[in-house]
Formats: sequence, structure tokens, C-alpha cells
Amino acid sequence: MIRLQNVEKVYRTSTIETLALNNINLNVKKGEFVSIMGPSGCGKSTLLNIMGLLDEPSKGHIEIDGSKVDRYEDKELAQLRNKKLGFIFQSFHLINDLSVIDNVEIPLLYRSSSARQRRELAQEALEKVGLSNRMKHFPKQLSGGQKQRVAIARAIVGKPEIILADEPTGNLDSAMGNEILSILQKLNEDGATIVMVTHDDAMARRTHRLIRLFDGTQVL
Amino acid sequence: MLRHLFKLIWNKKGAHSLLIIEIWASFMVLFGVLSLIAYNLNNYLEPIGFEYKDVWVLDLSTNQDTVNLPEKSQRIMQRIISYPEVLSATRTSGNTPFSANQMSNSSSYNKVSVSHDFYVTDEDFSKTLDLPLRKGRWYEESDISAKFIPIVINKKMEDKLFANENPLGKLIKENDTLSYKIVGVVDKYKAKGEFMADNPALFKMIKKEDWDRNVLIKVKPGTDANFEARLVKDIAAMTDQWGIEVSYLTESRKNRQNLTVIPVVIFLVICGFLLTNVALGLFGILNLNIAKRKNEIGLRRAMGATEGNVTKQFLGEIWVLATFSLIIGLVFAIQFPLMHVFDLNSEIYITAILVSIAVIYIIVTLCAWLPSRQASLIHPALALHED
Repeated sequence: MIRLQNVEKVYRTSTIETLALNNINLNVKKGEFVSIMGPSGCGKSTLLNIMGLLDEPSKGHIEIDGSKVDRYEDKELAQLRNKKLGFIFQSFHLINDLSVIDNVEIPLLYRSSSARQRRELAQEALEKVGLSNRMKHFPKQLSGGQKQRVAIARAIVGKPEIILADEPTGNLDSAMGNEILSILQKLNEDGATIVMVTHDDAMARRTHRLIRLFDGTQVL
Repeated sequence: MLRHLFKLIWNKKGAHSLLIIEIWASFMVLFGVLSLIAYNLNNYLEPIGFEYKDVWVLDLSTNQDTVNLPEKSQRIMQRIISYPEVLSATRTSGNTPFSANQMSNSSSYNKVSVSHDFYVTDEDFSKTLDLPLRKGRWYEESDISAKFIPIVINKKMEDKLFANENPLGKLIKENDTLSYKIVGVVDKYKAKGEFMADNPALFKMIKKEDWDRNVLIKVKPGTDANFEARLVKDIAAMTDQWGIEVSYLTESRKNRQNLTVIPVVIFLVICGFLLTNVALGLFGILNLNIAKRKNEIGLRRAMGATEGNVTKQFLGEIWVLATFSLIIGLVFAIQFPLMHVFDLNSEIYITAILVSIAVIYIIVTLCAWLPSRQASLIHPALALHED
């Protein structure tokens, strides 16, 4: 589903060159639930960004669902992100000025769907994460766990095949964290391929496979 | 997407209220200045209705002399028209073309009353100013003995008083007392020049025995200052201590135009300065706004927005904001054509409204374009990790 070949990422300034990822070779199969672990600054988020087509590797190749995306233009990459990928972030990234349901609808704004279709799909996604009673609320009226569930609903509303989660439980207490992980597991059981960055060993153990990074290099 | 933008702006209306007021105020000022420009331009495009080239104004000041003024006036007129350089001359009231003087009154016909300017002239007025007649004729010397004072009106006055009736031969009353008989209709007479509105006008015949100090003289093209000096000298010799001044209608026209154009230019400069300030303010606010919303930009890019979508998003937001401001502005502005404020043609206000709307949209687009473009170029991975 996601294939990375000899991926390298170097951040350059006028004086410093930092190797963030070094020769990463990775193959995430369809329906897998993979976790990525490693100390802070080891390149976990960079790797996730490259998988999510939010960043370009300095070297190497990426394949998403069999398509080589190396030479894709901005428009094609955006389309791929919109259709195939769903993102969940540690800090939720909800837009405070929009209601819960309007936040969930955001990915659908970038594809051709009617307002009615958008509403129906958003309602369906919120029902899946158990927040159908909070549709008209605004993010500021929600708890951290509820916010992350909204973010999950937003990630799945477009029915993507791949979900990329960057420390989705990082800002939550363990009970809430478990709840979020259960939702992700359920989504995985329903067919979604999930790659999750985490610091939490217990969470990582509940996934199919663990990838460890250290100083930008894959060690496991 | 439009609905999404309206929701986003509506939910942030408190934070945007100052911006909305700023755009609204700019619209109102622009509407005022453009109404003034449209009014003047509208007038300018209409002909003034008479020929002013090679027409001189002779201003005769009798000073302390009160003896036999009509007789002296007759002799002066005979002398003037005797020069080969003079094509025509006419006695007229002080409200000569392009002068600051104005004489107004109100006349009625069949209970319809009209306020109008009036001009007292002799029979050679139309010839001297080449004032073409639409209907009837100009009054003649023989008309003076008629039962009713002969008058000529302009088309505007005809339209207001008579609608579809033929005005020739009709009697109208001035101040509900004196009756005048209409003998002719001219098209336009914009005495104050190009920028004057085509107001109702009435010309009535000056009596032989009446004294008026102004004489309009139509000279042959190319007549120079030598003739002017000779004319002044000759008339001075005929009168005792009279003041004699000659001015040219071409010069008076320029002075008159400046009186209209200069204030408009001043208003335009002030308005331009205001709009520049608003534009700079808007540019600054948008830059700040985008810097604050980097997370959101990153998020939208992650969710599938292209660079173009991000540009459109921010441009769209400012258009929605401008639309809110303009809707409020329109509530005020639309009252002007509806209530015929200042008795101006509705088209003037409608034109000013439409142009103001266009200018506001252009300004906000120009101000938002660069920040929006910069927002679209923000790297999504970096934007998502900025707090």
C-alpha cells in the first residue's frame, strides 16, 4: 500500500545540513496497522510527512497504492492526499471557528460533492466515533478526547484507504488514549491501513508491526 | 465552498467587525466622491447649448451717473454694432454665461410649478450666442408692445410644465402674478458651463427703457486686443466716468470649469489617500491573519487543498468580508436613488454604486492577492508543526 525505497531526507540551511532520514526502505501492506517509535527528533514525523505526501524526500522513491508519486504535480499530490489518505494529528488541528460537523466536512470541500452529500458523510463519520450528539458544538466546547474523535471523523469522512496518525494519543490521558486507539483498531478491522507514530510502548504493542527509528535510521 | 466561506466569516464576525466597518466606510466615501464625479461627468457630456468663442462681455459701470441711462445705452449699442469687427451684440442681465451670478424664480402652468433660472435679454441674444431654437422663434422688437411679455423657454422647462402639450402660445405665470407668452423653445442653455446641470431656463425680453449693464459682443474670429482698446476708448468718450471692463467668455469658461474641477480633484485625492490607507491596513491585517493561521493552511493542504485552493480560500474570505460590508453600505447608498436626494438622476447614483462596488472588490483583491499567494506557498509539513 505504501512503499518507500532508499528514502533520504536532508534539511539544509546555509550553514548546517541535517540528515533527518537515512536510507529508509519500508513496505506497509494493505490492511496493516503499523506503529513507528523512536526518541524525539529521530525523524518519525518526517517519515510520516513523506508517507503522507506533505514533504518530499531528498532521495529515494515513494509508491502509494502502486503509483509512483515522485513526479506528481501539486494538483495530483493534493488529489491523492484527498482521496487515499486521512491524517490525524497530536494537536487535533481543528478550526475553532467552525462547528464540529463543518470541521469534519473539510476534506469533502476539495472534491466534487454536494452540500447534502457532505453533510450525510460527515454525520456518518461522527456516528462512527460516537459524536453524533456534538455536531453543532464548537471545538472549544469539547474535551481533548472528543476533539481527537472529531479529528478521526475528519480523517475518515472521505473513506481513505490509509490513515496516518501522528501521536494521536500524545495530548490525552491514558483512558482517552485507549479509547482513541480502540477506534483506530476498529477502523483497521474495517479495512483501513494505519500508520501511527507513538511514544507509548503499550499503544505500539497493540499494532501489527513496530518500526523503530534512531537518528533517522530504521533500526527495527 | 462559498457556503463554507460565509460560515467561516460569519462565525468570526466579531473579530472582523472593524475590517467590515473599514470597508463599509471606504465604500461610502467612494460612493460620495463617485456620485459627484458621475454628476459632473454626466453634465459635461451634455452640450452647453450655445457658442462662446469670440464672444466678449462688456461690463458697464455707471458709477454715480443716473441721467438718461436708457438713451446712453441705446447710443452705446448703436456704436458697438457699427464696428466692422462686431458680428452681433446683445444687452443682457448680469447673469452672463459662466458668471457667478444667478437669477431664479418660479413659474406655473395649469397648477404645475417649476423653479427655473431666468435671463433678461434683448432680441439679439440668440444670434449673438448662436442659440438654436427647437420650436417657434426668438422674441422680436415688435413683441414688446404685445399684451403679454414674450418669453422663450428651454426644453427642460417645456418637459416639466407641458409634458406632451405644445407650449407655443401658452401663457405661464411667474410668482402667480405676471403672465408671459411662450414664443419659442431652445434646446439647452447651460449658462454656468459644461458642468452645470441642464436646469429649466426662461428668457424674457428686456424693455428699451430698462438699463442693464452687460453687453455680449460677438466679434469676428481673430479680432485682437487693438480692437478691444479702441472699443473701450470710444465708449469711454461717449460716457462720463463710466467704468468699462471687457472679458472673454473663453476665459470665463476656464475659470468656471476650475471652480468645479478643483474641488472634485481635492475630494478625489482625499479619497485616494483614504483608500490607500485602507488598502495598506487590509494588507497588514491579512498578512497577520495568514501568519496566525499557518496550522489551518497546513491542515487544508493535508486534507487535499492545492496551492490554488489555498489562494482561493483567502481571496474568497476577503470577498465575503467585502460583500458583508457592501451589503451594509448598499442599505445606505440605495436610499439616494430611491429618495431622489439632491434631485439628481437615479442613474448617477446607480453608476456610482456599481463603480464603487467594483473598486472595492478590486482593492480587496489586490490587497489579498499577495498574502493569499504567500499562504499557498507555505510548506504544509512546516505549517502543521508551527504553534
